[in-house]
Parts: sequence; structure tokens; C-alpha cells
Amino acid sequence: MFAYTIKRLLTLIPTLVAASILVFLFIHLIPGDPAAILLGDSATPEDIVALSKELGLDRPLWQQYLLWFRNVLSGNLGNSLFFNTPVLTVIADGAETSILLALLTMSWIVLLGIPIGILSASFKGSWIDQITSGFAMLFASIPTFWLGLYLILIFAVGLGWFPSSGFPSLSDEGGLSNIRYLILPSLTLAAPNAALIIRLIRSSMLDVSREDHVRTARAKGLHPAKVAVKHVFRNALIAVAAAFGFTFAALISEAVVTETVFSLPGIGRLVVQSILRRDYPVIQGVILIIVLLYLFVNLLVDLAYAWLDPRVSLS
Amino acid sequence: MRVLISPLRFILEALRGRKLATIGALWLLLIIVLGIGAPLVAPFDPLEIDPIARLSEPGAPYLFGTDHFGRDTFSRAVYGARMALIIGFGSVVVALLCGGLIGMLSGYFTGLGHILMRVVDVLMAFPALLLALGLMTILERSVMNTIIVIGTVYATTTARILFGMTLKLKNDVFIDAARCTGAGHFSILFKHILPNLLSPILVQATFIFAFAQLQAAALDFLGLGLPPETPSWGNMLAEERIYITRAPWLLIYPGVLIILSVFSMNLLGDALRDRIDPRFKDDIAGV
Amino acid sequence: MSKAEALLRVENLNIAILENKQLQPVVRGISFDLHTGETLGIVGESGSGKSLTALAIMGLLTGTPIRITGGHIWFKGEDLLQQSKAQRRALMGNAMAMIFQEPMTSLNPVYRIGDQIIETIKQHQNINANGARKRALELLDMVKIPDATHRIDHYPHQLSGGQRQRVMIAMALACDPDLLIADEPTTALDVTVQKEILELMAELQRTTGTAIILISHDLGVITQTCDSVAVMYCGKIVESSSTKNLFDRLGHPYTRGLINSIPPLDNDIEWLNAIPGQVPALNALPTGCPFQPRCYHAQDQCNQAPPLTLIDDEHKVRCHFAVQLQSSDS
Repeated sequence: MFAYTIKRLLTLIPTLVAASILVFLFIHLIPGDPAAILLGDSATPEDIVALSKELGLDRPLWQQYLLWFRNVLSGNLGNSLFFNTPVLTVIADGAETSILLALLTMSWIVLLGIPIGILSASFKGSWIDQITSGFAMLFASIPTFWLGLYLILIFAVGLGWFPSSGFPSLSDEGGLSNIRYLILPSLTLAAPNAALIIRLIRSSMLDVSREDHVRTARAKGLHPAKVAVKHVFRNALIAVAAAFGFTFAALISEAVVTETVFSLPGIGRLVVQSILRRDYPVIQGVILIIVLLYLFVNLLVDLAYAWLDPRVSLS
Repeated sequence: MRVLISPLRFILEALRGRKLATIGALWLLLIIVLGIGAPLVAPFDPLEIDPIARLSEPGAPYLFGTDHFGRDTFSRAVYGARMALIIGFGSVVVALLCGGLIGMLSGYFTGLGHILMRVVDVLMAFPALLLALGLMTILERSVMNTIIVIGTVYATTTARILFGMTLKLKNDVFIDAARCTGAGHFSILFKHILPNLLSPILVQATFIFAFAQLQAAALDFLGLGLPPETPSWGNMLAEERIYITRAPWLLIYPGVLIILSVFSMNLLGDALRDRIDPRFKDDIAGV
Repeated sequence: MSKAEALLRVENLNIAILENKQLQPVVRGISFDLHTGETLGIVGESGSGKSLTALAIMGLLTGTPIRITGGHIWFKGEDLLQQSKAQRRALMGNAMAMIFQEPMTSLNPVYRIGDQIIETIKQHQNINANGARKRALELLDMVKIPDATHRIDHYPHQLSGGQRQRVMIAMALACDPDLLIADEPTTALDVTVQKEILELMAELQRTTGTAIILISHDLGVITQTCDSVAVMYCGKIVESSSTKNLFDRLGHPYTRGLINSIPPLDNDIEWLNAIPGQVPALNALPTGCPFQPRCYHAQDQCNQAPPLTLIDDEHKVRCHFAVQLQSSDS
């Protein structure tokens, strides 16, 4: 297992480097002079020349990349045009919101998706199954922002159970109870993804339950529930593990939209606003960080996969 | 050589006995008809403004009511169907052409394939919407660019999937048989391998079509998709968002249209997936 | 031995498959006895219903479209078909156990083999972890898995097919079952491994006294291990006898066909003696004797279902001409 981990880490590095190259090239793909773009509209010609020198824009591209890469490693992702503060600071400000949102969303997905998926597979064909399958597919077809808007309409505006927008920090007044600002957004994010997980678990479990070793388990006189969880689900989990990588990517993508709908001060909304404001350093910084995070999560998923399936690491 | 089934027969057989999926397919047919015949079906010009009738409720002559500019929601919805089809088919074509070709070539010429797949891996390190957003930053807002961006995003998964499937088929006995008859590489690829991949490709196409709708809507909503004046379901939702309490119909109609269409595509895709060669079932993640 | 002492008594068992809301009979009224320490072989082609019979005895038909539509299965005096699911589960893996045809896929790939054996033990016995592990090691030694102390922590994919089947046998014998059902246990294995597994099973039976039902389509396997044989065709038992008598005396034409189709080792023959025709589809069975269309001795009388005729000590044949065929030389 350890050797497998090292192996995967090593294969990750080239991908990381390649991705960073793409992110680096991002600024250069935008039409216009990179220095002018980075400084924005208020820049004077002298500023542009100065920045060009500083960034080494007169040097060959690969040298610029190395310069940029070195900066990144030391935590310097440039300055936000809009806020005039380091990009890293701006991103860090939004981190609390986005991380909490992600954790809450994953909790819903795991706590709701897995049991419902197991139930749906175990009672295949029954009304429980048909209703959950139908709803699951329906929820997977709803645009996140539409769901968000209507959740706001019903639960925030209509019933007044939850606030409709914003998120004061947990360290602000209100403390932990401020989590309630994240309930509707996390449900919005969780719904389509939980739906996907439910369908995946269901089809995975149905496939596994046809396998010979499940018949063996039944022949041992084990209770059907035990067979379902310990034997069928445990094997189905292998197929589901891969899906969690996808889910994370979908979460990041949809968080962008959800944070916009609910006006949450997170990294997702930051990306959108930065794009609209043409705050390129921030855009670049966020994309880089998210890519790193995503690759890391994929690595974790791969490792989880190997841990779940002994045939992978021991062969 | 496997028996080749024409796409239409494949769809019809897949739908047999599945009531919900058949209803979905009929809905899609309706959307296609409306979309193609938009100029004939829509009672009004989708861009035409009637300031007096702003935000009026559904009723004659404005079947779905009007928006904040006084534009007929029904006409916009019909033209939105056309846009949905354009985006959908466009994205599918881009994804299948680029991704499919790369995937198949990679699977067949495995040496080259491993390198290409690494490149695809790098692109897949960017979550879908993020990649789309990034690309839209560089490009201008236009229909063509939206199609290119969404198509590129799904070209990566398509490449991966077709890579895996071609790999599986390449080692099959009938390929050896074809080689024995002196068939060249491209002949094998396009005359032998590709026909066997048509069904999974069709399934993949339906899922891409569905996801394209959601992505396009999300991009529109964020103001980074189609140009603002274009009548699309996503744009309708984006522009009328603030009127959700005053004129809820403005959001219900386009929203429901998107949901029903995506739902139908998912149902259809599922039905098709159950009919394809079991070897490929795992490859089509549908995600 | 009197019937009252039989460990297992199957009486007029009927099994059907639910297809398109209709019940299609598959096993049509079979009966047989099995006594302690005995090995019964059930021979038949695919579709004869032999596997379904085994699954019915074990109780593994829940959740499938297969239904038991009649008869009794007496096990140690109790009718299994009248018992609740919980009662049957208490027997499964305990007083009766089963091993299957595909050892490569019959073990759970994500758990160690030791843990899978221990799972059976803990399910039915009140024993602590240490005790269970000791018993598991004992069992692995019994089935001759080399280096059991290490192997016990291996995963199934680290074992060969033959070894996996041994583990299956160990798992089945974990709670000292009175009855072991083996459904084509060696079909998926190499011939040499096949021999080892069969010898192992015979030896274990001598030590533990477990009664065995061995299902196979291979007469060679049956002769090697079984005391008595039941031949099934189209869901009915067409012949049952002791193994020795099956070959020594002429019985059912079908059995004769099976025996004759085995190519002789000492003669060169040009053509294999296959039984002409094919097994009929379940929903297109001929009236009367199902073997009629393929039988060299078929006559008009065969349109009526033949009764099970006793032609010798414990030797029954389901044929109108059972006795006549005995006395002729064909």
C-alpha cells in the first residue's frame, strides 16, 4: 500500500507541472499585453514597462514560467487588481466559506445518499425503489441555480426558516449558529450529487448481488441485511469510490453557481466576480489552487480505491 | 463482425417496455420540432418589446406571460428550444469529433495513446465548469464559443471513454481476422472498430447533450455564456432572476423546460445504456 | 436402512420458474433419500434441474423468480419447506453447507480468506475471536492448504483455483455439517486438481461422517466418489441406483446413452456415440416420457408417463420397458 502511494505521488508530479504550465499560459492567451492586462485600465505606460521588466516579459517564455513558478512556490501569486492585496490573501478570505460549504455538502451526500442508495437496491422493484429512483433522476436533471432560487423562495422568503443570502464568519457574532446560512446552499449543492450517488450505489449493488460470492455469503446463513451491507455494499463501494472524484469536481463547479445565487463570500463567487471584473491575477490564482486541490483529491480517491480493493495494490 | 444495428432501431428497441423513457423521447421529439419550426410556431418575435405589457401574467395573447422588457415568454421559450438544440448538438459534435477521434486513435496506436491520454489527464485536472469559465474569459461571449467551450470540456471524458473501449476491442479476435485479410490500420479503425462503438457513442452523446444544457444554463446564469440578447432558457433565467417574487412564471417556464429536457435525455440515455454491449457498460459513466 | 432414519428425504419436490407472470415447471416431482455418511451423486445435463434441486434444499431460492410449488424436504425429521426464513438460515452453513462450481468467483475478493471462514464460525457458534481463528487454521490444515498460518491472512486473488475450492470446502465444513452439497465442484478445475479435490472430499467424509450430495454432468466424477446415483432428465429422476449397479446393469436408455458416449480408452472409434437429438425446451416437453424422441426403444406406449419401476435391489428405472431391457442383450 505504501509503495502504491509513492508510485501514485510520483505520477502526479508531471500532471501537476503540466497543469501549472497551462495555468501560467492563461494570462498570455488573453488578447493584449500581459503587463497591461495585469495592471488594468489605470496603468500608465511607465507602470507597464516596469511590470514588464519585473515579470521578465522580455525574456523567453520558459524563463517567465520558471520565474512565475518560483513565485508560486514562495506563495506569491501576484496582486489582485480589484482589491490591491495579494491574491493569496483574497483567496484565503473566501476559503472559510467554501470549505465549510464543501464539508456540509459532502455530509449531506454521504449521510443521505448512501443509506438511500442501499435501501433502494435492497428493495429493488418496490415502491420505495421506484420513488427514490425517479426522484434521484429528477434531481440530477435540475440546474443547481434554479433549485437554489426556488429553495430561497420557499424556505427563506416564504417560510422564513433560513436566511436567504450571505454568510457571516463563524468567528463573528452568532458563532456556530451562523451555519444556518449554509444550510440551503449546501442542500442545493448536495441534491443533484446525492442523486447521482444514489443511482450509482443502486446499480453497483445490483450488479454485485449477482456475483457468486454473494451467493456464498447467503449460503452461510447470514442475515440478508448483513449480506447487503458487509458483502454487497462493501464491494459496490469500489465502483462508488471512483465517483467521489467526479463528485468533488462537480461540487467545485456547482459551488461557483451556488455561491453566486446565495451571495456567499466564497472562492466560487470570487472567481465569477473576478472574471466579470477582469481581475486576472485572482482568476489565475484561484484556478491554480483549485486544480491542485482537485488533483490531490483524485490522488486520495485512487488511494481509497486501492485500500478498498486489495487486488489493486497487491498485484 | 458484430451485427450492426441502425441507430434508430437501436433507440426503438431500447425504449420497448419503458414507459417513462418513451414519454421522455416523445418530449424530446416535441422540443426538436418546436426548435426547428421556431419561426413558424412562435407568435411573436422573441426580441420584440412591448413596454405596456411588461411583466404581464400568462394569458392571451402572451401564453407564458411577458418579461421585464415586455417580450413574449412563450416565443422566447420556443426560440430557446432552438438554442438548446444548437448548443446540444454543437457540443456533441465537437466532443465526439475531437474527443472521439483522439480517444480512438489513442486506443489503437497505444504508444501514442499513452502520451495523448496524459495530456487529456492534465485537461481533466480542471473541473468542468472551471475549465469552461477559464476559456470563456479568454474568448468572447458568442454562440459559437459557448459550443466550442462546452464541447471541449466534454471532449476530455469522451476521449477517455473511447480510449478504453477501443483498447478492449483492439484485442478482440475479429480484429485479428480483419488483419489477416490484409486490412490496413485506418480500414480496421473505421470499418471494423467504429461500427461496434456506435451504440456506446450514441449513449455518450445523449448524456453530453443533457450536460451541455446544464452547463450552458449555468454559464448564462453567471453572465458568461451566450450573448445577453440571445433567447435561451438559461438567459431567460439569468435575466429574470430578480423578478422571482413579482413574476414567478418567468422563472418557472424556462426552468421546467430545462428540467424536463434534461430529465428526458437522462431517461433516454439510461434506456440506451442498458441495451449496449455489456462489455462497455462500465465505460459509460454517464457523468 | 429404513426410511425413517434418512438424514435427508426429498419427497415429490416440484420447482417452477416465474416467467412473464407464468409458472414454468422445471423440476417435476422428484424424490430421493440420503443417509448419514453416504454420498449421493446427481447426474444430468444443463437444464435437467439438478442445481435447482440443490438450491431448493439449501434454501437459496429467495429473491429469485424460482418457486417451490410442491413437495417436502425432510431434513432430520423436519420439513424445511414449512420453516421460517430465520430457521432455515440457522441451518445454512451450519447443519447443511454448499460449495459451488466457480471457485474463482465464489469468495469475496475484499476480505481475507481466514476472515471469511471465521465469519461462518461466528455466525453459528458462540466462540471468541481466538478460538475462531484457531478453528479456521485447523480447517485450512484439514483441506491441506500449505503454510496455513500465513495463508490465512491472504486474499482470494492470491490463491489458485484449486486452493480457493479447498477454502470453500473448509468454510463449508466449519460447523461440522451433517450434509454437504457440492454443485459441480470440480468442473472449473484442471483434471489433476479435480482428482485432488475429489480425494480430499472423500477423505474428509471418512473422518467427519458428513453426507454428501455431489452434482455433476460428468459420470467419471460420479463413479469416483458416490455410493449411489440419481440420473435426472428434464426435471425428473429417470434412474436411481447404487453406483456399482448403474454400470453393471442395463437401466434407463438415457443412462445407457450417457455411458456409451464416453469414448473408450482401449479402442479406436471413428465416431463418438452421442445421444441423437437434443434436450427439449422446458415449455415444449413431449407427452409422457420426455426422453421419447431420442430413445432407440420408443414405442406408442411411451406417450404415457412411465412409472418408476424397481428392477433390482435399490435400482429404480423410470421406463415402461425397464424389466424387458434387463433381459435383452442390447
